[in-house]
Parts: sequence; C-alpha cells; structure tokens
Amino acid sequence: MNEKLYQMIREREHRIVRTQPVPPMAEVFAKEGLDVRERMTRRFEALCAKETPVILDESELIVYTRTVPNLPDVLTEAEWADIRAKHFVHELGYISNLSPDYGTLIGKGLIAAMEETEDPHSIRAMAAILDLADRYRIYAEAIGRADVAEVLAQVPAKPARTFREALQFFRIIHFSLWLEGSYHNTTGRFDKYMYPYFRHDMDEGILNTATAQELIDDFFLSFNKDSDLYVGVQQGDNGQSMVLGGLDENGNSVYSDLSRMCLKASEKLQMIDPKINLRVDHNTPLTVYEEGSRLTAVGLGFPQYSNDDVVIKGLCDLGYEYKDAVNYVAAACWEFIIPGVGADIANIGALNFPAVVDIAMHRALKNAASFDDFMKTVKEVIREECETIMSSVHDVWFTPHPFLDVLSGCDIAKGAKYNNFGIHGTGVAIAADSLAVLRDHVFGDGTITKDEILAACDGDFAGQEELLARVRNECPKMGQDDDAVDALAVDLLDTFSETLKGRKNCRGGIWRAGTGSAMFYLWHTKALGASPSGRRAGEPYGTNFSPALFTKADGPISVIRSFTKPDLSKTINGGPLTLEFHSSVFADPENLPKLARLVQYFISRGGHQLQLNTVNRETLLDAQEHPENHRHLIVRIWGWSAYFVELDKSYQDHVIARQEYRL
Amino acid sequence: MTNGVIFDIKEFTLHDGPGVRTTVFLKGCPLRCVWCHNPEGLDVTPTLLYKERLCAHCGACRRPCDHPECKPFGRCIKVCPKGALSVAGREVDAGALAERLARSADLYTPDENGIPGGVTVSGGEPLRQGTFSAELGKQLRERGIHTALQTSGYAQKETFSAVLEHFDYVLFDLKLADDELHRKYTGVSNGPIHENLRYLQASGKPHVVRIPLIPGITDTEDNLRALADLAGDSMVECMPYNPFAGAKYAMTGKEFLYEEPQKKQDIPDLSMFRHVKLLK
Repeated sequence: MNEKLYQMIREREHRIVRTQPVPPMAEVFAKEGLDVRERMTRRFEALCAKETPVILDESELIVYTRTVPNLPDVLTEAEWADIRAKHFVHELGYISNLSPDYGTLIGKGLIAAMEETEDPHSIRAMAAILDLADRYRIYAEAIGRADVAEVLAQVPAKPARTFREALQFFRIIHFSLWLEGSYHNTTGRFDKYMYPYFRHDMDEGILNTATAQELIDDFFLSFNKDSDLYVGVQQGDNGQSMVLGGLDENGNSVYSDLSRMCLKASEKLQMIDPKINLRVDHNTPLTVYEEGSRLTAVGLGFPQYSNDDVVIKGLCDLGYEYKDAVNYVAAACWEFIIPGVGADIANIGALNFPAVVDIAMHRALKNAASFDDFMKTVKEVIREECETIMSSVHDVWFTPHPFLDVLSGCDIAKGAKYNNFGIHGTGVAIAADSLAVLRDHVFGDGTITKDEILAACDGDFAGQEELLARVRNECPKMGQDDDAVDALAVDLLDTFSETLKGRKNCRGGIWRAGTGSAMFYLWHTKALGASPSGRRAGEPYGTNFSPALFTKADGPISVIRSFTKPDLSKTINGGPLTLEFHSSVFADPENLPKLARLVQYFISRGGHQLQLNTVNRETLLDAQEHPENHRHLIVRIWGWSAYFVELDKSYQDHVIARQEYRL
Repeated sequence: MTNGVIFDIKEFTLHDGPGVRTTVFLKGCPLRCVWCHNPEGLDVTPTLLYKERLCAHCGACRRPCDHPECKPFGRCIKVCPKGALSVAGREVDAGALAERLARSADLYTPDENGIPGGVTVSGGEPLRQGTFSAELGKQLRERGIHTALQTSGYAQKETFSAVLEHFDYVLFDLKLADDELHRKYTGVSNGPIHENLRYLQASGKPHVVRIPLIPGITDTEDNLRALADLAGDSMVECMPYNPFAGAKYAMTGKEFLYEEPQKKQDIPDLSMFRHVKLLK
C-alpha cells in the first residue's frame, strides 16, 4: 500500500486539485434547440475537455482524479417539468443502477469500438475519452512518469494486455461513466472479467503476489478519490459495489487468488468503496466464509453475501436465461441485475406491508368473521397496492447516454435484453407480527377487542399502556423462530410475488417482488399510525428484511431461521437480512470461523442475501457527540456503507436502535 | 417432565466452549462472588429487572393490579410502555427445551476441522438444579447435540458425577486456591470444588479450567501459582475482568460490593500455567 497516497485520500487532501464548478449549460442548449442526445454528448465533450490531468503522488499507479466538481444539468427545469408531465421519470432521469459490460471493452479498446459503432454521438464520446487520455499521457511523460505514460499509450485506445493496463482501462471507463452522468455505476463481476489479465501477469512473471496486491490496493483506493461527488440519498449511497466469487456458466466457482486479494485490499483500506459482495452457494467451502468474515471483522459492513442456489433459480423462474442468470450481480445495494444485457429498474416502487395491514384493518376488521376472512382483505389490499404501483409507471423516459450505449451494445435509454421492474417490500416483519396479534388475540382468545386495537393504532396507544406493553414485549415476533408468526410472513411474501407473476410492464418486461426497504424504512412510516405489533407511530422499520427494531430474539440463529422460512427465490428483486454484531465479537480471531459457520448456515437454509454489520453502540453515541473524533467510523446503512458522521441524524439513530449481538 | 428455572438463552455465544454454541442460563447459585456479573442468576426464584435508562417515570407500574405474577414484586410488570421492566426466570421442561434447541442441530454438527458446536448449560450454577441439568444434557445428547457444562464445581460429588455423565465437555471455574479467601470473596469453601476438579481430571473428559482475573483478588501471583498447581495438565483459559460487570446490579436492586479498579487491568504473568490461553 502506498501509505502517502492513502493518507492523502483518507484525509481528503487530494481534493485541492478540484477546479471551480463549470457554469450551467441547459439554458444554452435549450436556446440552440438541441436534442437531448446532442446535449449529453456536448456536455460530455465539454467536461472531458475541462478535466485537468493530475497525478496525485509520485508512486500513484492507477491515475485519473476528477478535477471538475459538478455536472450541470442538460435540461432546464421547464423542460424537465414537461417531460415529467408526459412520462414516468425514474429518480433523476439519468440512467442509474446498471452493471455495464466492462470486460468486453477492456479487451477491445476504444479504437476498435469506434470502428464498430455507427452512432456519431457514441463515436464523439469515445473521441473525447481518447483525447483526455492522451493529455494524461503527455502530462505523465512531462513529469517523468514513463510508467504511466506507457500504460496510457496502450489503453484505452487499444486492448489491455496486462493487469495494470486492464485496471487503468477500467478506471477510465468508470470515470467516464460518472462524467457522462449515469450514476450508481456498479463494478460487476470484477474477479471474473479481470482474472485473465491477472493470471497472465502472474504466469508470465510480470507480477508477483506482492506487486499484484500493491496494484489492487492502489486501484481500490481510486474508488475513493471522487466518491464524495457521487451523492445518493445520503453520502456513501453511490453504488460502487463489486461482486466477487460465484458460479460461471459451466457451474465452476469464479473465486480465485484475485478474489482473495480484493478482500485483503478492502481489509487494509478500511474505506467505504468499493462495497464488496461475495457470491456463495451450497458447495462453497468454509474457508471462503472465513476469508469473508475476516473482512466483516474490520467493521466496514461488507462483504454482503448472496446465495447462488436461490438467486439463479429465482431469476430463471422469472424468465432470465440461465447463462445470464448465472452471471448476476448486486446493483448499488442488493438488487440482482444482469451485467451488460440488463436495463432493469430494480427500485421503481415499494410495497409498504405495515400500511397494507393498516388499510385492511380500517376496511374490514370490524366485520371480519374470522382471521381467515380478514386475511382475504389483507391480500386484496396487497393486490390493490401493487396495481397502484404498476399503473403509475408508464412511458418511462431516460436521457440518452451515448458512451454507456457502447458498453451496452444498444441505445440503453430505450431498454436492453431485460427491462424488468422491481418493487421493494418493506416492513414485512412488522406486518407479520401485527397479523399474529390480530389472529391470536383479536380473533383467537378474544383478549383484545377490535375497537381496542383500532383505537391503539389510530391513537398511538395513548392510555393503553398495558396493551402496548403486552403486544410489544410479550407477543411473538418474526425473528424468534416462531413458526406461527413466520408463516404469516411467508403468506404475505407469497401473495406479493403471486400478484406480480405474469404481469407485463410498459417496456415489455416483467415485475419482480423484493424484500428490500432502502430508505423506505424511514419514509414509509411517515403517514402511518402505530402498528398492532406495538410499533409506535413514526417508529422506523428494521432495515430491509430484518426483525422489528424492538424484537427480543435469543440471538442470530433464531433470526436466521425465521428469515429463511419464506421461499426467497420468489422475492428475487433482493433485500438482505441484516445482522448487527457488537465489535467485541470480533476481538478474538478465533471467533471468525464461528461467524463463518453462521453465514454458511444462513446459505444452507436458503437465505438469499445477508448483510453483517459490526457496531459498537458506545462508539456510535460518542460519534454523535464528538464527530470530529470519529471521521473514519464506517457503518452499513441499507445496502451500502457510509462514514457515520456524514449521515443525517435520523439514519444515525436507526443504526443505534438496531439490536446488536454481543458476547 | 423434569422442570427447571432458566433466566436466559443466548445464541451464538463465543466463549462458552468449542464451535458455534447456544448457552442456557440456569437460575440459582450457591456462591456469592463479589464480582459476579450475572446477579439475576443468583436466586432460583424470579428476579425483577428494572432498566432505569428506559424508564420514563410515568408511574404506570405503581398502579394496583390483580395479576398473580406481579404479586412478588409489589408493582405491575405488565404495563411498562417503555419495556423497562422484565422478569428473569421462567420454568421450563427439560425435554421441551431440548426439543427447541435441537431445531438448530444442523448448525452444531462438526465443521470441516472436526470441531463440533452445541449447547452449553451455564448459570447461575447448573449443579444447583442438578436433576434438571442432567436431564437437559441427556435429552440434548439423545438428539445428537454436543453438550458443554459451565460450572463453579461447587456441589456434592454425587451430583457432579451424575450431571457430568450427560456432558461432552466441561468449563470448570477456579477462583481462589486459599480456602479462607475463597470463603471471603465467594461465600463458600473451595473444598468440594477441588474435589470435583480432581474427579473431572481423572475422568478423562475433555475440559478447560477457567479463571476470572479479578484485579486484586484472583490475579495475584500467589493465587495464580496455587491455581496452576491445581490445574496441572488441564487446559486453562484466563478471562480478563470486564469493567461493566456491575452494570446489571442496578437492574436487580442488588448492591454491587466489588469496588471496580479505575484503571485498565494489567494482565498478570501467566507463565506458571502449563497450557494457558488468555481470552479477549
């Protein structure tokens, strides 16, 4: 590891190279009457031209650092309003959350790609990239960095021949994607498409273990140079996820020495990017989980695990071809998407399960003759809510992305081979807990009346302390390995996925059900009263597919058992179970094999996705009081890791409120 | 039916024996170690736990109620809206508990290195409920689960040997070698403990001797030397003092008599032990 460069990035001193923001462009474009594709190309050309080549340190290996800090919009506010009136515009209207095909371009070079494409905008975009690369090369030569100049004499114009050239090529592509304006640009199956270059250099003696590790460390560091410019809902929500391991088309494991070195680089760096995902399956040896656990112990909130056995089957069941399904990656957070050939919009809507229960209660609780009768209404509401979400999406519109098109082999704004839409499912545990209270005590033993529970939900349990204490602390919860409660979650999720089954979306794709929450664990609670399970009004849900925050479980084994009872291949839009461990759990390295075994247990039981967070409540509270002392403290939020002190307080408080497992 | 009283089940306990384990904590202990960090495990009868940090002082628990389970505590344990009140101690049947714990049996099978996980029976002092502990061990083993016993060793030899029969592994605590000091700091003589340790060592059963390093009490050189003699060839694990040990006393209304040292503990020399590991 280049310690000097590392400290510079860690302390953000490199940001000194940034120039003044560039002025707005949209008005000028509008005045000239340019179409959007032309505008995207012009902006990209202008920004490439504005970039100043910098080499941060005499031993920086992988170069390219953003100097222009902003990205002016290509459309005016009035134009956006006009488009939004006619179309469904997803998030910002620029393409996001895809996994481009880096490998093909790295093996081809831009000159060949320019010859292959007929689109003049794509050609101009690539010419702009070549021009900037050439200026970088000349600069490197001028300051005596012949090694950098030599790499840039080959890439990105021509195919990469060595591992270093491939890494530099990747860096240029990734840098260019951000500069073109797509966001949540994920990294894909890095150890798969990079492996041939790595193997070549190791076999030829161009690299040895130490020099290869140094390169990877330097490369990983490059993800953290500009990441503060890539803001999502919160700082850190930038989609720079990387997938390691997993099966290839022939059913062989991709996990290699390169994968191991990536885990090691991440462990050394202790930074939030790239965010590591580890693909595993029932054949994965315990040693791989142990290597993953070593990274977990560092406290970055990754690796996140995903289960090939469940995910590949689930994707195939939805109509993905096996050769594509087997190549799946995690998008920005955990949405399962296909690199290169996918244009899925995995986060287009969210079903609010606790709200479903609330609506059903107000509509039908009073007149329901039995719990089964009431469940009919619950399912009816699930279908209605799904209909509402589905019918709200029509005429999807994206800005064109001429350079991203090159990596997609098509006009990606119009769609690709897969154009499926994903709907999150939030708060399923709270919904199941709530239904259990209704089933067992309103319809069952009759110890709670219908009026009582309705009043409690609408009045936030005011004057009903005993009822609150009972439902909140004594009634069974999902996460306690109680089959009767967990069965309700199974029913809810099955109804959700059944409802979407066979439905077509406006881009010819299908709809996918998921168990993710993203930021909806806070947002979905805003207009909702209290829940029959004892969740107070305004109290957030657990993150993604996790127990209610106040659930008292005997420990992670019960939680894993509860959350692996549903057939999760049906909710393959993704959304992980999250387990929080107190940092003391990892003080003794002898505990890592035990954690490895626990993760393996989750996979063997058919879990689809697992996040592990290392937290220390005392430290987090101190960080709220004294942020200046905890600038590098990292926590996992809902599918990404962030610097704790850079988060809004509501997100900080949520992490603190989660149940942690201690020694 | 063999009933016993437990106060907690904790999954994924990392210092309670080999592999991935779940620990069952049995209520009741004949010792009164001044540094004890599980005061809710001392009495066999249910103990009220009050978390002041959560208490809004609303007075709801002070209103009279007619719940029979609230009687012993003089306040209503069923109304706290903040969850500040709970009761440690519930009666369970050994067979039913074993059945419940055996649900995760496939997690406890030996790993690729041959190390089994399983269930650890701890306390309190599990020998205090000897019949129940023995039955629980038996029932777990019948379901193919590796069993570990965590004990102070303070019991009649007959009880100890009868319970031991149903356990695969023992975590045996040693505290003070000098009987007078042992009486002073734990309330009981160490005679039966030493006798049971010799029995365990002679039995050939896999075990580990565990020594809590209590600053100024058990971590003295004299004591450690004497304990090293007792441990002999047994594997020894030393546990540094946990500075939050007293945290639960306020919850139980008991008084924490041990005066915690203010500075970080210096780990003493442990070279007198033949086989020793310092836990973190």
